[in-house]
Amino acid sequence: MASKFSGVLQLTDLDDFITPSQECIKPVKVEKTAGEVGKIKIHNDGSYVQVAQTGEEVKLQKAKITLNDCLACSGCITSAEAVLITQQSQDELYRVLQQNTQAAQDGETSQEKLVVISISPQSRTSLAARYNLSSLETARKLTGFFKQLGAHYVFDTTFTRDFSLQESQREFVQRFQGNDASAPLPMLASACPGWICYAEKTHGEYVLPYISTTKSPQQVMGSLVKDHFSKQQGKPPDQIYHVTVMPCFDKKLEASREDFYSDVYRTRDVDCVITSGEVEAMLEKEGISLVDVTPADLDTMFSSTSGAELLSHSGGGSGGYLEHIFRYAARELFGQDVQSVNYKTLRNKDFKEVTLEVEGKVVLKFALAYGFRNIQNMVQKIKRGKSPYHFVEVMACPSGCLNGGGQVRIGDKEADKDLLTRAEELYSALPVRTPEENPLLESLYSEWLSGRDNEKARRMLHTSYHPVEKMTNALAIKW
Amino acid sequence: MCSRLEAVAVLEGHQDRAWTVAWNPTGTVLASSGGDKTIRLWGREGDSWVCKTVLEDSHTRTIRSVCWSPCGTYLASGSFDATTCIWDRKSGDYECSATLEGHENEVKCVAWSPSGQLIATCSRDKSVWIWEVSEDEDYECASVLSLHTQDVKHVTWHPHKEILASASYDDTIKLYREADDDWDCLATMEGHDSTVWGVCFDQSGERLASCSEDKTLKIWQEYLPGNEAGIQTQGSDPTWKCVCTLSGYHKRTVYDVKWCHQTGLIATAAGDDCIRVFQEDESSPDRRNQPQFSLTATAEQAHSQDVNCVAWNPKEPGLLASCSDDGVVKIWRYKEE
Repeated sequence: MASKFSGVLQLTDLDDFITPSQECIKPVKVEKTAGEVGKIKIHNDGSYVQVAQTGEEVKLQKAKITLNDCLACSGCITSAEAVLITQQSQDELYRVLQQNTQAAQDGETSQEKLVVISISPQSRTSLAARYNLSSLETARKLTGFFKQLGAHYVFDTTFTRDFSLQESQREFVQRFQGNDASAPLPMLASACPGWICYAEKTHGEYVLPYISTTKSPQQVMGSLVKDHFSKQQGKPPDQIYHVTVMPCFDKKLEASREDFYSDVYRTRDVDCVITSGEVEAMLEKEGISLVDVTPADLDTMFSSTSGAELLSHSGGGSGGYLEHIFRYAARELFGQDVQSVNYKTLRNKDFKEVTLEVEGKVVLKFALAYGFRNIQNMVQKIKRGKSPYHFVEVMACPSGCLNGGGQVRIGDKEADKDLLTRAEELYSALPVRTPEENPLLESLYSEWLSGRDNEKARRMLHTSYHPVEKMTNALAIKW
Repeated sequence: MCSRLEAVAVLEGHQDRAWTVAWNPTGTVLASSGGDKTIRLWGREGDSWVCKTVLEDSHTRTIRSVCWSPCGTYLASGSFDATTCIWDRKSGDYECSATLEGHENEVKCVAWSPSGQLIATCSRDKSVWIWEVSEDEDYECASVLSLHTQDVKHVTWHPHKEILASASYDDTIKLYREADDDWDCLATMEGHDSTVWGVCFDQSGERLASCSEDKTLKIWQEYLPGNEAGIQTQGSDPTWKCVCTLSGYHKRTVYDVKWCHQTGLIATAAGDDCIRVFQEDESSPDRRNQPQFSLTATAEQAHSQDVNCVAWNPKEPGLLASCSDDGVVKIWRYKEE
């Protein structure tokens, strides 16, 4: 099976000679009771049963590997796709919707889950390009589509990106002022889960401190929905089924991280991630084109609109982290108002540089590094203490998130290129606003988080990273 | 068979398997590398060949591959420790001046481009990396090509264009060139039934020889768009077609093939402990589309174990170096009789 993960994750696969199922080296816990030796029989249907001496047969459980097991293992990552299919797919969403319908029929409304869908602006744009619709039409039709299927709310992660951007801005300025030795420069962007996973698996301890602790828009939305919104709705977090629509398969890994799981409620901040391409597959399954879907009004509660229009952020299809932090830092640290941010393309189109000069001296040096080759060079420079940058917007995919591995693909190289160009045009045509201009943000900071920089704000808006120790075993010896 | 390979020198010193031999561009120094984590440099002293230098302490595992820069000032070594080292002679002695890191695991082969500006490496991690040599002698990754589905065994450059060939455990050979800001595959050659261990261009760069676990040697011809033979091409890219398969000669895996750019002779290294030399029949009626090659010399039991690598001296026609799992490096002279 061709891997759908971003390029950086594809490289961390391990072996030439062993097939995927054997390849998994994650030890699985076996519940074993001491005592007599049992017999195991295999039935015709393939199920294993243990036969006790009394002749009693007990069906044995299949060993299951969760995505979180995969994340904690330095072995394969790409062959974990079978795991993804069972835990993070449109089938899982259909299953929950089906359960809801059943509960409603049985009159057990307390069993019904509140289904919340949070759509990323990159996915919306990819589908808009695919179906030749405007961004707003697409947002309205997607809202209509998911509500028809049984979803209760449809949000837009542009809204929570305001939190991610603002927290990143403030984190950068704190790092720059050197208040914390454990938070060095350059600060590396944290929104791309492919990059995070790669850094944890291959570069461990020495790169992780550089990565911004700010949660991605997906995970801030997770906190907002499962913490704040659930209280507003009077529902415990596990009674809300939160689905995000993302441009990227690696986002499924992000949602599965232990850090975003609540032990108390046994629930994840984001229960299921489906990609833009999987939404297209859902539309096909329903036998309808997005063009023909009846639109619905947007849920304005957690969406970025100015009433009539959708809003976005400046600085490109990967979220605009560089641009927002650059402007904010120029203003906060050097009292400079940056009118336009000028990108200088370096060795290729996915490696660009932005500098701020004050009195002829370079005071801020930022870079965009997209795709594996540029990530490599950046990491190696940091390793050798030779990185000239203060901040790097790191994204695993060449061309950034609009070109994410989960975006809609036609399958023809040229046609896909056109599709990406159209998506980039649609995306950059949206009017922009800064996080500071979002009127709801301030009230959420006070109502939900009781301010900034406190324990709750840190817990809801920031996260941490964990190096994965390299596993060495006999299988690794090869010529 | 009308010629023979005469042993000129037997060079002992490696404490483990000897994996590669590589001549410097002037043909005066032979570098060899091995499982003992060393690189040995051999040179002439009077009539005999001696070990001049041993380079060590830079790799923590087997040095699988070694190659010279076209200027002869640098050596690159690729190791099972996943790194590639650049050795620099500027200060007189060879020193490791840079380490290229990034491969996930064992580096299998390293190749310096004819311009000296690019280095290619390949690995068991299934990827091929292209590194650019910058002005301040920094080495930056210009591309990561993950197009093979298995272990990549060998990489080699076109003799005068910036085109790279790679051979893999997935039984294919791929060619790459730079296009649109990144490197891309321009051709995939399928035909071998098993792992392709080695690949080598001829002097013109229009033909390629490959060797495989399937015990054959194949010759591939480049066909440009609008070629006279009527071979179909796509867009502006050429098609590479197998025009000759040499089977029945090797009893075991063929590990290496080298096409001499001076004489046109093809030498192979094989798991049957033999070195063989093939020569093209120049009187064949259609050399381009149906070339014919014959075996002209075999060094039976050239080594006591698998022969891993062979290398033609770039200046002295007919001088061939070889190395083996038996840890020995040998130099041979091809004699026509």
